[in-house]
Amino acid sequence: MYNKIFTTLLDIPKAWRAYVKIGPVLWAIPLASFLSVWEIVSRTGYFAAENVPAFTTVLLTLYSCMKMPDFTLRVAQSFLNLSVGILSALFVALPLSLITGLRSRLDLTLTPIIMLMGALPDLAILPIVVMWFGPGNTAAIMMAAVCAFFPIYFTVREGAKAIPQDYFHVATVFKSGKFSTTSKVILPAVFPNLVTGLRLSFDFVWEIILAIEIIARVTGIGTFIDSSVSAGSIEYAFAGVLAIGLIALSIDRLLFRTLENRIARWRE
Amino acid sequence: MTSQMEVLDVSKVYWDSEKVMSALQSITFGIERGQFVCIVGPSGCGKSTLLKIMAGLEKPSSGEVRFEGEPIIRPHNKISMVFQSFALFPWRTILENVEFGLETQGWSRDKRREAALECLEMVGLAECQRMYPKQLSGGMKQRVGIARALAVDPEIILMDEAFSAVDEFTAETLREEVVEVHLNTNKTFLLVTHNLPEAIELADKIVVLSARPGRVKDILDVDLERPRDKTGSDFVSIHKNIFYLLKEELESSIVKHKIRCIHEFQRLHDMEGR
Repeated sequence: MYNKIFTTLLDIPKAWRAYVKIGPVLWAIPLASFLSVWEIVSRTGYFAAENVPAFTTVLLTLYSCMKMPDFTLRVAQSFLNLSVGILSALFVALPLSLITGLRSRLDLTLTPIIMLMGALPDLAILPIVVMWFGPGNTAAIMMAAVCAFFPIYFTVREGAKAIPQDYFHVATVFKSGKFSTTSKVILPAVFPNLVTGLRLSFDFVWEIILAIEIIARVTGIGTFIDSSVSAGSIEYAFAGVLAIGLIALSIDRLLFRTLENRIARWRE
Repeated sequence: MTSQMEVLDVSKVYWDSEKVMSALQSITFGIERGQFVCIVGPSGCGKSTLLKIMAGLEKPSSGEVRFEGEPIIRPHNKISMVFQSFALFPWRTILENVEFGLETQGWSRDKRREAALECLEMVGLAECQRMYPKQLSGGMKQRVGIARALAVDPEIILMDEAFSAVDEFTAETLREEVVEVHLNTNKTFLLVTHNLPEAIELADKIVVLSARPGRVKDILDVDLERPRDKTGSDFVSIHKNIFYLLKEELESSIVKHKIRCIHEFQRLHDMEGR
């Protein structure tokens, strides 16, 4: 009998087949283990429950939060500041990076000063921006825009520099004007870089939005987390963090993954 | 009767920091309607520059190129081009790539789709219309490049080393297809190449350029019957002729280089002696 158990345990091909079969959902194993360890550690009372709430508690709190207009409005406000900031950065960074990426003389003139400004830590200028614009949404949007500008600028500039000269020859030989060369050659050619730049800036901007909310008390999800911690209702802070994580994850999956998959269809 | 396209005393110089580099010097020749003309020359003789000038992509320093009597200062819509690097847009499908030239001319969607498909059929790639360039081999990509050049219904097709970036077997079939297209459409073709047998196989007329700065060394008419036999005695003797012309060129440039080296060496030797 022991012999049988032993051979079953050692049936490596069978185990391997099972492993391959669940391949697409393998990520669920470490996730489930992490969540159960969290749940068990919290429930056993090793840490005080007011410091580490159980995962299920956080989930239930988040669910009840979503019915609170205060919570949803704050999330919406943070998200709005972030989007407006990124869009305004895009509005400036895209044309500027295309110009410097395609005209080397302008690149030599402008890029050093842009690099210098990009080297400044964003948190360092935060107090100055708050002083200029007051602790409100304007300051948050400004900070988001500043943060989003540099990743977009540098990735798109690289993309524009890498456009083969022959693409422009094709455009000229086939009588494509300035406008149609921009829309049919330059923009599609830098599109992959633009997606990378937006994705990078998205990560940076989330952080800076939360920082400005917590440091300068600009109303948003950041202040919600901060006040929940101060008020001792730690499960609300956890729910806020979870909400941000879920939003960032779904944007990454729904927006950026979709775009990247489309690009992967043609990219060499 | 004037030729369809005339290159009149074209020169091109570049300013390289303080030195003036002469790339082309007084190039003059004519191309008749429906001819297949090849430009051959040692590498670096400025033959690609000449083609760019003829396409209107670059301006000559002096002289001019005329198409049906009018000087070319910018690309003409009756002159299209095939590139050595294929230069297909990777984000467009094959059909969309072929449509590019028609799009910029403002054709309606259905009409340009129809015209592009017809050109794709001509190069035997109609089934690949929905694929992206990355799914195609080099030879197929160049076929798409040829289809794109044909789609705008040009009178002259300029080809810049169009068969150099693919392997020899693929190049051979591509050449056969181009000959067929040439016979069927009676368009004028101009090919820049450094591959002599290729030039003799395709051309009605061969323009031989000298080493830098490029000058017209000789213009030969090739009246061999098509399809041409590469081992035939006429083929071989033409090959020999041009080969000697080019070899002379190369040797003279090598001799010049050697003499320059000897002078330099002598100068250094003198300096050391002092």
